[in-house]
Order: sequence, then C-alpha cells, then structure tokens
Amino acid sequence: MNRTHLTDNQLIELSLAGIDRTSEPHLAECEHCDARIAALTSMLGDVDVSLTAEVDEAFPPERLARQQARILQQIEQEGRPARVIAFPAAQSVPVRVHRRPTRRWVAAAGAIAASFVVGILADHLTYELSRSRPVATHLAVRVGDQHAPVRTVAASLSDDELLGQIEAAVGSTGPASLRALDAMTPRAWDDR
Amino acid sequence: MVAAQAKSPAKPHQASPSRESEVAASVKALVLAGDRDAARERFAELVARQQRRAVRIAFNYLRDAHDADEAVQDAFLKVFTHITSYREEFPFEVWFTRILVNGCLDLRKARARRLRWALPMPSAPDMVAQMEPVANDPSPEQRLMSSERARQIAGAVERLPDRQRLVFTLCHVAEQSTSEVSQALGLSEATVRVHLFRAVRKLRKLLTGEGSSATGVAPSSLLDRERSAV
Repeated sequence: MNRTHLTDNQLIELSLAGIDRTSEPHLAECEHCDARIAALTSMLGDVDVSLTAEVDEAFPPERLARQQARILQQIEQEGRPARVIAFPAAQSVPVRVHRRPTRRWVAAAGAIAASFVVGILADHLTYELSRSRPVATHLAVRVGDQHAPVRTVAASLSDDELLGQIEAAVGSTGPASLRALDAMTPRAWDDR
Repeated sequence: MVAAQAKSPAKPHQASPSRESEVAASVKALVLAGDRDAARERFAELVARQQRRAVRIAFNYLRDAHDADEAVQDAFLKVFTHITSYREEFPFEVWFTRILVNGCLDLRKARARRLRWALPMPSAPDMVAQMEPVANDPSPEQRLMSSERARQIAGAVERLPDRQRLVFTLCHVAEQSTSEVSQALGLSEATVRVHLFRAVRKLRKLLTGEGSSATGVAPSSLLDRERSAV
C-alpha cells in the first residue's frame, strides 16, 4: 500500500479535473486521501449552494420580473427618435403683443415722456436748492457771530472755506516772504 | 457535479448550437430584415433564458445587488443594440458573458472612483447578514449555523482576487466550462485553470484552514500547461 499521501495541490487538481475517486488508484486504497478529497468536494458544493442562494435571495422572482420589464421597455425605446418636449409650454400660447403691436410703442413713448418730465423737475429742484444754500450759509455765519462761531460755520462750509477760516483764525499766513503774494491772491470763497 | 462542470470540454464550434444561440441568430436575422418589433418579441425569450444566470455572475462579481441589477440591464441592452455583430459560430452564452463581464468591470471601476470621494458605506458583513438564505422552518440553532456558514463563505469569496473570483464564479455559479470562460475573458484555457486552481486552494484555506502549508504556486502540471499555452 502506498503511504505517501497526495499533496494538497494534487488533491485540488484531481477535484477540479473531476476524476472519479474509484478510478484513481491511490484514492481507492487510501482512506485518508479519499476523505480529504470528499471534504474538498463537499466544501465546493457548499460554496456553490451558498453563493447561489445568496443571489436568489437578493433577486427574488418579483425583482427579476421587474428587471425583465425594464429591459424590454428600454429595448422598445431604443432606436426610436427622442420625443421633443415643448419648452416652455407657455410659448405655444399666442401672445397679445403680436395682435396689437402699437400698444408697445405707445407705452414706450409714454415712458420716455415721463422720464423727460422727471428729469426736468429734478434739474429745476437741484437748481433751486443750490440757489438757496448761500443764504443759509450767511444766516449760519450771522448766528455764529453771536453764539458759537466756529461750530456753526463749519456745519455749512466747504472744505476749502473751512481750511481758509482755520488759517485766518490761527493767524498764520505763511512765511513773511510770501505774505504779500498771499494778500494779492484771491480766495475761492471771495468770488461768491 | 461541480468538478464535472469545470472539466466539461470546450465547445467553441458546437455541432448543435444551444437554444440561446438559435434565438440570438433569429433575433439578428429579424433586425437585419428590419422587423424590429418581432425581434424585440424574440429577444424577450433570450432575456428570460439568460437573466438568472446573468444576475448570478454580476452579483457574485460586484457583490452589490443594485450594481448587479444595473450591469445586467446594460448588458442585455448592449446585446440587442449590437446583435447584428453577433457571430453565430460562437455560443451566444460566451458572447453575452463577455459583454456582461466587461460591463461589470466598468461598474467596478466607477464604484472605486465613487468610493474614493464618498463617505464609507456600512460594512459588508451587515449587508451579507441581511441577505442570508433561510431554509424552510429551520431551528434557531440551524439558522444561526447556516447564517454563520453563509457569512464565512461570502467573506471568503470576497477575499479572492478579482480575476480568481470571476473565474470561480463563471465556472461554478454560472456553470461554464473552462474553455467557455477562456473565450469569454480572452484568456488562455491554461490560465483559466490556474486561476481556478488558486481560487479553490484559497477558499479551502480560508474555509477549512487546510492547505496553509501548501506552497504559493500551482501544481507543476498546470503551470506547464500554462507555459505551453503562452
């Protein structure tokens, strides 16, 4: 009796080759190797059954039927021209503008006229306000003479006027060599 | 039974074509004749005959029901779209398997890209546990043992390298011969046998703990065959 057992690799190869255990001389006389190959075949059978059962569980007949319906539906759509969907749907409704185009022009002319009127009024208002400002300044200066001159004047003066007033108040008119020239130079606020 | 499936002879040019091949040929003829409605009706038979097998292949390769669903639908759609390029001298199952496996590979790549940017999903064992098969009225102990065994098997199969898992699935779950698998995957038959051998050896080691002392190479006979094939 041959007591040299089959290696694992030989066992697997025999199993995959599907050799009849009785036709293999060693297996016929070695119970140990016979049991090993039987265990291997059983294990592979378990794997097959388990994998198949797992798939069948995940894909019951209802799911397969749904899948089949989807496949056939996709195939039915295949090759057909795509359905054109009108977008947006509201465009198919006739628009009133096409029937009465003059209304648009009337509305546009009205809008332009209104904008002219508003512009003229705004210009007039701006002019009136600019005229009334010096009066307010003079009034402010007069009031400032009596009570709080610096603060009141500052509230209505421009930056140049304010700086000039500050310069005058401090009494500094620059270097002595330039005072004659400074006296001859008109100030911006003197022209008003 | 399983071994016999793996052993079954190659049939690249069958004397009598399978029913699937006949139906596919008739669908092709109808499409070429311009009768698409009749072709669609005929194609429904093809879907019905191959659907379960396709789902088993896709699910075992992708390990995700949603992805498998998508892969199977895409594969059937591609088959119908390109039915005119089907060559009747080859079995339809081989052509279809090739289309399906290519689709699965694309989906797998897409999923890998998604996962790179997405948050981690729930762990796979939980999903497997939800889908475990339940026998008719098993006792709680039997159910526990069955679920534990199913979890072990699913985990072991998932740990196989992609190509080994694919070859094993095609040979065992889809019941294709090594010759058909070699045609479907574009590999030599010897290479397919080596992948199958390694898959079985790894499964045996993972599930029974045996074979851990085995060397990391296939038997010399298989390697010799692979060398000669190359």
